[in-house]
Amino acid sequence: MSHILDKSSAFRQGVVIFVYLAVLTVLEYFVAVTFNAVSILVVVAVIKAALVMYYYMHVYKLNEESGADAHSYSYKTDTNRLGLWLFLLSDSFVFAGLMTARVNLLGLTRPHLNQLLGLAVTAVLLISSFFMNRGETAMAHGDKKGFMTNTIITFLLGLGFLLGVVAVEWPLAAEEGLTASSSATGAIFYMMTGMHAFHVFTGLIFLVVVWNNARKNIYSAEQHWGVEAAAVYWHFVDLVWIFFYPALYLIGKVL
Amino acid sequence: MKKFFATAFARGLFWQFVGTLLGAGLITGIRAAMGLSVTDKFFFTEPAWVLGGFIGVLFFLGGNGSVSDWFKWARGIDTPEHHEEHYSGWEKYFHVSLDHKVIGIQYTVVALALISIGGLFALIFRTELAASKLQFLTEDLLLFGQNGLQLYNTLMSLHGMIMIVSILLGVAGIINYVVPLLLGAQDMAFPRLNAFSFWVAVPAAVLLLMSLVLGGFDTGWTGYPPLSARAPVGVQMFFLGVFTAGWSSILGALNVIATVIRMRSKGMTAWRMPIFVWAAVATSLIALTATQLIGLSFQLVMFQRLFGMGFFDPAKGGNPVLFQHLFWFYSHPAVYVFVLPGLGVISELLPVFARKPLFGYRWIAMSSLGIALVGFVVWAHHMFTSGMNSYLRLPFMYSTLLVAIPTGVKFFSWVATLWKGKIETPTPMLFVLGGIVVFLMGGLSGPPNATVSTDLHLHDTYFIVGHFHDTIFGGFVFPFFAALYYWFPKATGRRMNEFWGKVHFWMMTPSFFVLTLGMMRIGLLGMRRRIADYDPALGFDTTHLILTIAGYLIGLSVLIFFFNFFNSIKNGEKADGNVWNSRSPEWQVPSPMPMHNYDQPFEVVGEPYDYGLPGSKYVEFSAPAKNTHK
Amino acid sequence: MQHFVIVGILIVIMSILTYFGLDAAGLAKQMHPVSASAQAVSIDWLWDWQVIAMSSLFALIFVPLVYSLVVFRRRKGETGDGEHIEGNTTLEITWTVLPLFAVLAFAYMGAYSLGETNRVDPEAIEIKVRAQQFTWTFEYPEYGFVSTELHLPVNQQVVLKMESADVIHSFWVPEFRVKQDVVPGRVTDYRITPTLVGNYKVRCAELCGMSHYKMENPVVVDTQADYDVWIAEQQANAAAAQTPEGQGQLLTVKYGCIGCHSVDGSKLVGPSWLGIYGSTREFADGTSAVADDAYITQSIREPLAHEVLGFSPSTMPPFTLTDEEIANIIAYLKTLK
Ligand code: HEA
Ligand code: HEA
Ligand code: HEC
Ligand code: CUA
Ligand SMILES: [Cu+2]
Repeated sequence: MSHILDKSSAFRQGVVIFVYLAVLTVLEYFVAVTFNAVSILVVVAVIKAALVMYYYMHVYKLNEESGADAHSYSYKTDTNRLGLWLFLLSDSFVFAGLMTARVNLLGLTRPHLNQLLGLAVTAVLLISSFFMNRGETAMAHGDKKGFMTNTIITFLLGLGFLLGVVAVEWPLAAEEGLTASSSATGAIFYMMTGMHAFHVFTGLIFLVVVWNNARKNIYSAEQHWGVEAAAVYWHFVDLVWIFFYPALYLIGKVL
Repeated sequence: MKKFFATAFARGLFWQFVGTLLGAGLITGIRAAMGLSVTDKFFFTEPAWVLGGFIGVLFFLGGNGSVSDWFKWARGIDTPEHHEEHYSGWEKYFHVSLDHKVIGIQYTVVALALISIGGLFALIFRTELAASKLQFLTEDLLLFGQNGLQLYNTLMSLHGMIMIVSILLGVAGIINYVVPLLLGAQDMAFPRLNAFSFWVAVPAAVLLLMSLVLGGFDTGWTGYPPLSARAPVGVQMFFLGVFTAGWSSILGALNVIATVIRMRSKGMTAWRMPIFVWAAVATSLIALTATQLIGLSFQLVMFQRLFGMGFFDPAKGGNPVLFQHLFWFYSHPAVYVFVLPGLGVISELLPVFARKPLFGYRWIAMSSLGIALVGFVVWAHHMFTSGMNSYLRLPFMYSTLLVAIPTGVKFFSWVATLWKGKIETPTPMLFVLGGIVVFLMGGLSGPPNATVSTDLHLHDTYFIVGHFHDTIFGGFVFPFFAALYYWFPKATGRRMNEFWGKVHFWMMTPSFFVLTLGMMRIGLLGMRRRIADYDPALGFDTTHLILTIAGYLIGLSVLIFFFNFFNSIKNGEKADGNVWNSRSPEWQVPSPMPMHNYDQPFEVVGEPYDYGLPGSKYVEFSAPAKNTHK
Repeated sequence: MQHFVIVGILIVIMSILTYFGLDAAGLAKQMHPVSASAQAVSIDWLWDWQVIAMSSLFALIFVPLVYSLVVFRRRKGETGDGEHIEGNTTLEITWTVLPLFAVLAFAYMGAYSLGETNRVDPEAIEIKVRAQQFTWTFEYPEYGFVSTELHLPVNQQVVLKMESADVIHSFWVPEFRVKQDVVPGRVTDYRITPTLVGNYKVRCAELCGMSHYKMENPVVVDTQADYDVWIAEQQANAAAAQTPEGQGQLLTVKYGCIGCHSVDGSKLVGPSWLGIYGSTREFADGTSAVADDAYITQSIREPLAHEVLGFSPSTMPPFTLTDEEIANIIAYLKTLK
């Protein structure tokens, strides 16, 4: 258990990473509106993804030694963690497939969308990841109250993102003539955002479940696999958006 | 009978029925409220059927109880790691069980059922093909809302897909039953997920079959748009069924990988795992990842039909060839999902019956991974004529040819394993040998398809049909039967009748040679795939008649197998010891396997296949294995 | 050692037997459908090498396998195990590297053969091909006519510019060997140099729906003289058909209507046109209507509007034709008594 930081430095790490991510997002936006260099956008997205995977999703935990007792909680947690990551690996192939479809159908063009709204929902999702990290860190240090509060904030931000996309961006785009059936561009736009929104939606349900279980005092600093799983899943959904956002809003010329 | 209706299986089907009606009713209600049409040729409208089909699957799973533990967990209620087994005898297999051995058998039996259905479809359309001119699938025939031509296409397409799903389930069946035993594990890493993966396949099969009665579809198993975007509603059920079956495959594969990484017994290092485990891992890596793409590609066509989304509609700027890329990105690697476990079975059984170590164990293990990995970058060899960018043809030709190398390593190593052995040939070994030869024929007919210019002639002809029946039979069907004959005593404590086993083999193998060589022959001469009738001027009538007879003989041999299988469960010769004199751990304990596998954990102390090395040992039980029967 | 010599000899014999066996069974060069194009030459050449390679590789595995089964079988009463041989790295490397060379050879030969089939002649004649359920139409832009038969002059490269009106089809004349899909939304090229005068058929090789099996049209390779005669005939026909009926008939060829509608009363995928004009049409819902101008216009533009008894309306794609074109077609239909 070498990676466990004390509580305050763990929180501090969360803040630092968040600042990195925020700066990179602004940079990304800036690059896109000024000189639209695809290669830079790709590099930035990859860096952001790496930061999220390492610091928020703790991918290194896959490598932890969990002792020999196959019936212990920690051994099982490690097995579960492997299972979850395998699932995420599998799921990422759907998103990669959608991305391929996007590249094939749109190439270096993109739909006409509301830039500010795109930046706003992206920011909201990113901030939600920050709070998710705080919530999980709190639980890892036995702070149930901190977990409950931060999870509520995450949930609200996540809901905000979901509504921002589905209830604001979709009608706006439709008003501009970009509907699911108008063109392949519309189809791929709704499919990508829709598939992502579906994952956000399941993530929200997951949050409700762990929040409710925390209320029932099921988790402790030592045993809180459910919380970790919800957090990793939530960050994964964020990770996908890290690629989808530039793919839909930033890369290429507006059609 | 009453007992049957109380089973999770029957309950699931009942709830699927209810769910389908509810889902369809819901959409119909909404449509009525919006003033849209509410009925169509097949009673409900297409969106109603799709949602109905989907809700039906959810209801099946909710209704049969395979997800109830998860709901308990979500509410913060803990459940015991294993359930008490409430049922015994046949009932056990119709209820939700968390025991990997039960699940393995459930998978296997469903796979056999589907092979029969798919095979029956083949026999029906083969009968039509026995002579030129339309015999009974005529334009005047009207069945399930389709005329004979449409019905031919539906049967042919369903034959393909049902067979493929049955292979996926058969693969899962063997892996589930065998892998934890070989590893010395009590169960799979995630027993509930395991049960779920099995049960979700049942409503999937129902959906596939529903497509037959909902107007069918005429797209082939590949479902290329724009044709599939215009086909009858049946194609939606087909898509939904494949999508659902895909989840079974993905989650099952996840479980296998986690099990192999986390559940090995003491001393079982990577290089001491039985070779079949390597094959299972390689297969699972493909199934875990690539499967998502066939799900996605079918989902996109589904949405194109439902919401007018123009992914593959050129009128809207879509691209039909994109579909083919997404589809084959799964469907090529999928063929290695079929064969790798089969080749694993061959490698596992050969040393037992040759009484010699497996020649080049590490090379064989690595070749499985090699095939799996290279398999990811060859998909466009199905698209040489598709009109994709022509500069893609050469790289895909090269990568495809490369697969021959790791596959060759397996063949050469097998032959070297037999060399200087003391070979015994009971039924399982016969099927292993048959599998090798048939797969060799199939494999060698691969490179001519891979070199672009010859494929320009061969593509979409019966040559391809012959190629893949050979690879699938050699790589899966023969080894599958070998595995069934081999592990049957482990599961039941009895063995299958040798005589009928040999009849099965000697009837199936020659017929099969005739079937595929005949297919390749007419394919070269100009017989196209997927046609209900052929030009009599081509002079194929005799060959086709022979093919049909061969098809029937294969069917008959399978029927004999079924008879032997079910009869031996009750009346087979008792065999509770190490029937095959194998070194493998599961044969060191009495059959049938006890409930929680090994009463004593074992430690791996030697190499798995050291036949002929006096005094060597593979596993050592911490206390002598109890020789009591249960 | 003795084993190896015997096996070696048997492998050679078996390879030869397999090759000639396959040939006799029609799987090798001999019984291909006759080769009728320049492109077929390099394809058949490669195929022959493939069969040789297949035969010898088959023998290479099959012979030692059967030999072991016979010679190393467990005899009655024998006990004990075989020899303890775990593996041999040199051997493993050998049978990884040797097939690698075989693969490289085939990769080279494959690329060469593909290059040959793609060889472009700048003088190639251009013909437009239109594929649709379930027929082919060929347009000769130089001469301004359309036909349901494809005529090609011998020893002259042609390039077919192929388009599909509905779903994917595939242009295949087995005697030419080469095959190319016709994909909606794009033009695909098919280059061929016929070398043998004769009558062939283009057979659609991509499943395109119910009557895919019937999607065959005649392909005729003519001598230059016959070809010129045929062209002249077609041009004359097109010129003669300046009447509305004549134009209408040509349109039904051009748009492929006759792939689904017969003019002699026989039943294809769609209702026959024999005597259609002015007759009473019965629909699946029990109603009926008289086939007048309005009805036929609607049938062409919105086939979904009614379901003719015994036919499936979604089979026919909607056609957006001009009023004049429709008037011509109606004029033609009137002549079908
Ligand atoms: C179990 C299934 C299975 C397996 C294992 C394979 C194995 C291979 N397949 Fe096959 N294939 C299918 C199932 C399978 N295939 C199916 C279902 C289709 C049709 C799909 C459809 O359209 O419906 C298809 C179609 C198909 C095509 C497309 C044809 C077309 O539609 O035009 C191609 C083209 O390259 C191809 C190639 C190969 C190759 C190169 C291998 C190789 O993996 C074979 C490797 C093995 C050997 C080569 C033999 C042993 C090796 C040696 C003895 C070493 C020495 C050999 C050499 C140096 C050559 N296959
Ligand atoms: C596992 C895979 C598998 C298997 C086992 C088979 C088995 C058979 N297949 Fe195959 N086939 C495919 C996979 C398979 N097929 C695929 C993927 C396609 C491509 C589809 C497409 O183009 O889209 C295809 C296409 C295909 C075609 C080409 C159709 C066309 O292009 O028009 C033909 C034609 O002859 C054919 C024939 C047969 C025959 C005669 C058998 C025989 O071996 C069948 C023997 C019969 C049985 C195994 C059944 C035995 C059971 C009984 C007799 C009933 C007992 C009943 C109970 C116990 C209840 N198949
Ligand atoms: C792919 C097959 C197909 C093609 C191509 C096709 N049709 Fe049809 N057609 C049909 C079918 C099937 C029907 C029956 C439709 C129904 O039930 O509504 C039909 C119906 C009709 C009818 C009404 C017939 C009646 O019996 O009342 C007319 C007129 C007609 N088509 C004209 C045309 C013309 C003109 C073209 C070409 C420009 C054409 N069709 C091309 C399949 C086709
Ligand atoms: Cu056109 Cu098949
Ligand atoms: Cu393939």
